[in-house]
Amino acid sequence: MKHSIQALNKAFDHRVRLGVMAVLLANEAASFNELKETLDLTDGNLASHVAALEKAGYVAVSKQFVGRKPSTTYAVTTEGRTAFQEHLAALEKLLSGG
Amino acid sequence: MQSEVDPLAQLSEIRAIMERSSRFLSLSGLAGVGAGVVALIGAGVAHVALEHELGPEGFARLATGGVGPDDRRALLPLLVGLAVVMIGLGLVVAFFFTRRRAARTGQRLWGGAARRLALSLSAPLAAGGLFALALYREGAVGLVVPALLLFYGLALLSASKYTLDEIRGLGYVQVALGLVGLLLPPYGLWLFGAGFGVAHILYGIRMFNRYERGPQPGQAPLA
Repeated sequence: MKHSIQALNKAFDHRVRLGVMAVLLANEAASFNELKETLDLTDGNLASHVAALEKAGYVAVSKQFVGRKPSTTYAVTTEGRTAFQEHLAALEKLLSGG
Repeated sequence: MQSEVDPLAQLSEIRAIMERSSRFLSLSGLAGVGAGVVALIGAGVAHVALEHELGPEGFARLATGGVGPDDRRALLPLLVGLAVVMIGLGLVVAFFFTRRRAARTGQRLWGGAARRLALSLSAPLAAGGLFALALYREGAVGLVVPALLLFYGLALLSASKYTLDEIRGLGYVQVALGLVGLLLPPYGLWLFGAGFGVAHILYGIRMFNRYERGPQPGQAPLA
């Protein structure tokens, strides 16, 4: 059991980060506001967790202007996808007891 | 949270978030029932109008080439006008019930999932509408209703991955009715009523019973 728990990715320790990864994998890309509303979070809370994922190289950020309003879009990177899938596999392994 | 890992809770939460963010789940079954009623009324009006313009068995004669090109062209504004009014009414009814459901469940009406749903529906529907118009212009009136059913069914199939599962079943029904219609051109209005009317109503009731009966989160139960 202990071994499997160690296989869980530390970057996904927090449910907000898991939520962000889940939304991005299901949607290819999402804006800051879409993430915020889907996960029901405050600006600051989401920003800090997304920054952590970005730092880990799991999430790519692109900023552009929609009209005159800046808009930030997030997408999952290849490393992020792999890491998340490994995390899911580790969770499933825990569930199956080994 | 740091050391306590509940894998089952994590997995089911991930699954729920993926569902919620990638699918438009606020679609109301009552929207289907309403749109179906509009379609049945429209088919009835078309039947009466064509009997009035062309005499008994008006639609069947029009569909099997029993009406000359000039009369056919003269009927086009009436038929297109009727179609536009029906589509408009159907959309208003569907929008009304869907907005009401989104408000009740506290979900956002217009987001990424709704946008993808609208996009994946509108491209095949626009193509289908123009194709049906071209069939009519060329005199293949008997193929108009089957074409509408086929394109609508395919639009639903392509959109079904962005919304409730029932929409896929509804899509198959429309495609099947469209194929049947290819063999039975004189019965086009009946197939129109069956597909856009009855199938919408039945699937709407099914969706309503499955998702909207009983207490909604944070709401009094529906009467």
